[in-house]
Amino acid sequence: MARRDRYHFKEAGGFVVDATIKRGGEDAAFEIVPDPEVCVIFLKQHVGAPVQPLVGAGDTVVEGQKIGDSDEAMSVPVHAPVGGKVLRIVDAYHPVAGVPAPAVFIERSEDAALPVRLPAFEPGALDDTDRSELLAGVREAGIVGLGGAAFPAHVKLGMRDKVTRLVINAKESDPNVACDVRLKREKPADIVAGIQAMARLLGPNEIVFATRAEPGAFPELEARLARAGVTVAHIRPSYSVGSDKLLVKELFGLEVPCGSYPPDVGVVVHNVFTAYAVARALFAGEPLVSRGLTLISRQTGPLNLWVKVGTPLRHVLMHAGLDPTVYDRLAIASMLMGQSVPNPDVPTLKATAGICAFGPDEPSPYAKQLPCIRCGYCNLVCPVGIYPVLIMEAEKRGDVRRMKKLHAEDCIDCGLCSYVCPSAIKLTGHLRRAIRAVRQ
Amino acid sequence: MKHSAEVQYKMELSPHVHSGITKDALMLKTFALMCVPAVAAVFAMGTGALVHIALAVGTSLVCHFLVYFAELHATGSTSYPTPASPLVAGMIVGLSMPIAAPYYATAAVAALTMLLFKWLQGRVFGRKYINPAAASKVLLLVTFTLLAGLSEGLLFHPHHLRLDMWTAAGFDRAISFYDGRVGLPAIESLILWKDHGWIGGASGLAVLAVGIGAVLWLKLKWRIVMSLMVVMGTLSVLMALITGGSLAGRLAFHLFTGSVIFMGFFMATEPQSTPLTEGGQYVFGAALGLGTFFLQQLNVLGGSILVLVALNLLTPQLDRIGMHRSYGHGGDR
Ligand code: SF4
Ligand code: SF4
Repeated sequence: MARRDRYHFKEAGGFVVDATIKRGGEDAAFEIVPDPEVCVIFLKQHVGAPVQPLVGAGDTVVEGQKIGDSDEAMSVPVHAPVGGKVLRIVDAYHPVAGVPAPAVFIERSEDAALPVRLPAFEPGALDDTDRSELLAGVREAGIVGLGGAAFPAHVKLGMRDKVTRLVINAKESDPNVACDVRLKREKPADIVAGIQAMARLLGPNEIVFATRAEPGAFPELEARLARAGVTVAHIRPSYSVGSDKLLVKELFGLEVPCGSYPPDVGVVVHNVFTAYAVARALFAGEPLVSRGLTLISRQTGPLNLWVKVGTPLRHVLMHAGLDPTVYDRLAIASMLMGQSVPNPDVPTLKATAGICAFGPDEPSPYAKQLPCIRCGYCNLVCPVGIYPVLIMEAEKRGDVRRMKKLHAEDCIDCGLCSYVCPSAIKLTGHLRRAIRAVRQ
Repeated sequence: MKHSAEVQYKMELSPHVHSGITKDALMLKTFALMCVPAVAAVFAMGTGALVHIALAVGTSLVCHFLVYFAELHATGSTSYPTPASPLVAGMIVGLSMPIAAPYYATAAVAALTMLLFKWLQGRVFGRKYINPAAASKVLLLVTFTLLAGLSEGLLFHPHHLRLDMWTAAGFDRAISFYDGRVGLPAIESLILWKDHGWIGGASGLAVLAVGIGAVLWLKLKWRIVMSLMVVMGTLSVLMALITGGSLAGRLAFHLFTGSVIFMGFFMATEPQSTPLTEGGQYVFGAALGLGTFFLQQLNVLGGSILVLVALNLLTPQLDRIGMHRSYGHGGDR
């Protein structure tokens, strides 16, 4: 029987995503993970053009120093998360791309100079501040969408002309990520300051803070939001509604047409962590060099950790008292959408919101895939209403016309079709291949 | 602690977790639900029904283990790692047999279902295009008919051919067969309790209740059953109006015989051989209703499986029609 509480997310077709694994995560205060000996900072951590290194091997850097940038509009700089010496700039395994990509290796130095800061603005004088300066400040801080998409934040915040609504997605929807919820408890002032800065940039008619929490769950944040004129929308606990496009439909009944994005229907959606990062950048001059994330393992349960970007996962695990060598699988980001990593030396990225460690006693539930029984569960659960099983069949036949007709490219890679499949078929692999085939 | 280079994790595509819904669990739930009409059948039809069901399930399990060990011996792997699916196949065969059928026919249908239409079909085509139990019955029916002629080989009920379903009087004669057999008037008997016809349809009401439960619990393809029932119901009403006979009698007869209600809920919704698109399911159910009604009018009672098998073969085409619009294309989710 489908239980309905905040750890059981109701999805299309009456299916339920079990998020009990993060139960108690909201109560786990952020612990600061000490800086690692060596940070690994990828030059591409966002959607868009990669950046070029601004430093070379042997250079000394300080925390917050820009170490990579690009002239492209669709790009954001990266910064040194620690002070120390650049060891090398070489290719390393990129956890999102799944292939080697250039990364700056920085060895931390105990006697590094004090961190550098960006020019900060006065929160109380936002209305008098030039918008282009604010926007440049967001870009210079290297802020990307921290909900997982890693879209350059300044690009979305620069869409003043087409946007009438600003939505802050308090997320809470990933079954293994509790850090967004924790942030709301610990940093309400910064979140609201960030929203106000975003509002100054976009000039929306309406600002909505979308949360799955019950009214009264975050009294301080709710009071601050009310004072700032932000509407709080309490939406149903759902995993799929964490997606920007589906959130727009849930809140306003608006559908983002195929091939378009929420700003095309007048809505900009930002993650609550992005709002926080914007506040820290604009009002404290902090570039994006650290963030909160949730580590989940059977041994530790959910832990909220504050981690420097570029910290090797080995270091995070060891801080939590875990031996990285005893795990079988390690995934970053969401359990339903995140990527596996091949070894514990892979570092966190700006958009890494979660780490899941699976031991040998937790084998992949997809290890024994059975033949499809055509039950149609995958079709029922698909939040964008496409037909994953028919796409899989077409993909196996190599029938690109049929894949197009079935709108394979609309898949948001949420993983729900695989999650409910009684035959434990990983449809996501077929869907990704189908999307590639359709786009070719 | 090992060096980094020595630690290699298994690489897996997302997702990394699963709902825990398994094929076996679905099969066992289906089996559990079908036990209700099975028990009703034993009460209504006597121990003969139990023998049929036990024979069908037993034969299926024997065939399953034969295949299981043969495959394991030959290839080291098996098509059906657990007996959950054969259990359901056996139960469906048992419940879809007429109580008047000879026991050997039940065992033969179960064996054909398992070996020819379940295992071999899956091996050869990579999928089951036709419903195994229905196909086995059709094969047997056609064989009997070819060997013994239409009046002898027709689903073990040659006397049906003498009925005239196109007139009120003929129809009344047809359903008067049920009158008083189990101490109930014909219409009540058809709905509640009968000792004739498909074993699975002994209690039409029990199948209806369990079928609705299955739709809700197992997310059966309800559109098929609904359109089947709507078409059968509509045609029953029309026929009653045209011929001037009993409306309630028409509805009870055309909707609550086992070959309609049991077939509708537990065979026509068999996932592999039926369409996945919503429109395809409506068309499938409606066509099944039309064909079944027409065959009933021609006295091929229980002929619904002929239509079912024919429609199964059209499933790949039906999967191309009636798709709902998806998000971003004016969809309704
Ligand atoms: S959920 Fe799995 S078994 Fe069911 S139709 Fe989809 S792919 Fe096939
Ligand atoms: S992964 Fe794609 S096809 Fe599967 S449920 Fe999500 S959106 Fe639908």
